[in-house]
Amino acid sequence: MISLQNINKVYRTKTIETLALNEINLEVSEGEFLSIMGPSGCGKSTLLNIIGLIDEPSSGNITIANQTVNGYNSKDMAHFRNEKLGFIFQSFHLINDLSVIDNVELPLLYRKSVSASERRRLAEEALLKVGLKNRMSHFPAQLSGGQKQRVAIARAIVGKPNIILADEPTGNLDSAMGNEIMNILLQLNQEEKTTIVMVTHDESMARKTNRLVRLFDGAQVS
Amino acid sequence: MIKHILTLIWNKKRSNFLLFLEIFLAFIVLFSVLTLVTYNLRNYSTPIGFDTEDVWVAYLEIDESVDSLTNIDMKRRIKQELNAFPEINGVGYSNSCVPFNDSNNAFGHRENGFRLFSFVIEADVDYPEVMDVNVVEGRTFNESDAYAKHTAVLITQGLRDQYFGDREVVDSIYLMDNDEPWKIVGVIDAYKYHGDFSDENRVMLKYEPQLESRFFSALIELNGAVGPEFEEKVNKAIAGVINRSDFVIKHLKTERELTSREYWVPIIALFSICGFLILNIALGLFGVLWYNINKRRPEVGLRRAIGATKYSISSQFILEILFVTFIGLLVGLFFAAQLPILKLVDIENINYYYAMGGAMGIIITVVLICSFYPSQQAARIHPALALHED
Repeated sequence: MISLQNINKVYRTKTIETLALNEINLEVSEGEFLSIMGPSGCGKSTLLNIIGLIDEPSSGNITIANQTVNGYNSKDMAHFRNEKLGFIFQSFHLINDLSVIDNVELPLLYRKSVSASERRRLAEEALLKVGLKNRMSHFPAQLSGGQKQRVAIARAIVGKPNIILADEPTGNLDSAMGNEIMNILLQLNQEEKTTIVMVTHDESMARKTNRLVRLFDGAQVS
Repeated sequence: MIKHILTLIWNKKRSNFLLFLEIFLAFIVLFSVLTLVTYNLRNYSTPIGFDTEDVWVAYLEIDESVDSLTNIDMKRRIKQELNAFPEINGVGYSNSCVPFNDSNNAFGHRENGFRLFSFVIEADVDYPEVMDVNVVEGRTFNESDAYAKHTAVLITQGLRDQYFGDREVVDSIYLMDNDEPWKIVGVIDAYKYHGDFSDENRVMLKYEPQLESRFFSALIELNGAVGPEFEEKVNKAIAGVINRSDFVIKHLKTERELTSREYWVPIIALFSICGFLILNIALGLFGVLWYNINKRRPEVGLRRAIGATKYSISSQFILEILFVTFIGLLVGLFFAAQLPILKLVDIENINYYYAMGGAMGIIITVVLICSFYPSQQAARIHPALALHED
């Protein structure tokens, strides 16, 4: 499902060059739940951003869902992200001026083929899966952290993506809420066979996934 | 997407209110100024109806003690002496209603089947030719009018349009001053004797056969440009007849320019104020948009991550500001439309429509210009960086 070959990422300024990722080779199978761990600044989020096509590697090849995405222009990548990928972030990234249902509908807005009524139906369905259908007219400010992350999960799955990329999805939550979110992700992985790549600092969460990859100073150590 | 943007605007109504208010007030101010300017410029664009190039006016100061016959004889002699100069084409007399001197002489009568009202300039037979009026229907005065049963008058096209419509007016007779019957002998295109910016189009030139004492002004048409030495000659010729030298000769061209300047100065001042206002609106909008976009960087990052193209981002920001602008303009239009609907001010509705269109055009252009660069900057926000900042 995901194939990274010799991925390097270098950040350059006038005076300094930082190697954020060093020769990363990674294969993620369809339906796999992979977690990435490592100390802060080791390149976990950079790697996730590169898989999510919101950042570009300095070198290396990326194949996602059998498509080699190197050389995609900005517009192609936007369409690819919209169709194939779902994102979950540590700080939820909900739009406070939109209701829960409008937040969940957001990815479908950028799909011309989906009508307004279909958008609404799919968003309600996604909210039902995360147990928040009764909160769809609420605004993010009226929700707890766990509920916000559930809304973010609903937004990530509403477009039925092949892959979900989760960047420390439980990082801002207490352990109970964290477990709740983790259970939803596991359920998505097991029941709907969604491929999930999750960056986490939490060893106990990582142990629940199929496979764990560790990074250190930009290099894959296990 | 449009519904989504409207939802976003509605949910952010508090923060959008000030922007809406700014647009609304800017529209009202621009509409008011443009109405005034349009009204004046439309008046300015119509023909003045007479010649001012190389035409002088001498304000005769004949002693009041002079008897009527002497008065008439003096005027005859002035005309004779001035016409003897080869530099002079002709001399005509009128009452004190000389172009650009702010004098008025109005008559009205209710017993013509309607209320006929007009400003009236009393003139001698040569006056229309000296002033080079443009007769569009009928004829100008001639010597036979002196012996006619009815007083001959020339009316302006504006007066004809207002009172007579498609009716035949040449040779028709109407009651005016003291039930005196006046006969319309011709129609002239215009006679804006208050100046280029005047909107008064109800004017009659009334023929006075006698060079009587009501004629205070001699209009002198020259063959072409002459020097001050010739003005001195004219001055001496008139002074020699009326035996005094405290009268004034003015150049109609200069008077016309001075009168127009009284309008141009406030128009330019209003335009300057409007320019300053537009600049302030532009800077304000630019600042607000710049601030909003910086505040919404994580949102832009998220939208880019979930599939928005750069074009979607820039068009979303432009549409958001345009929708708020349209709401402000719609409310502004509602209030502006009351002026033509309720006829609160007696000016043609077309002036309001031009002003509405102009004010909307200016505001939308300013908004588009001011929103273009910030929205382009928003589209360039790198999603990975923006998402990491929050």
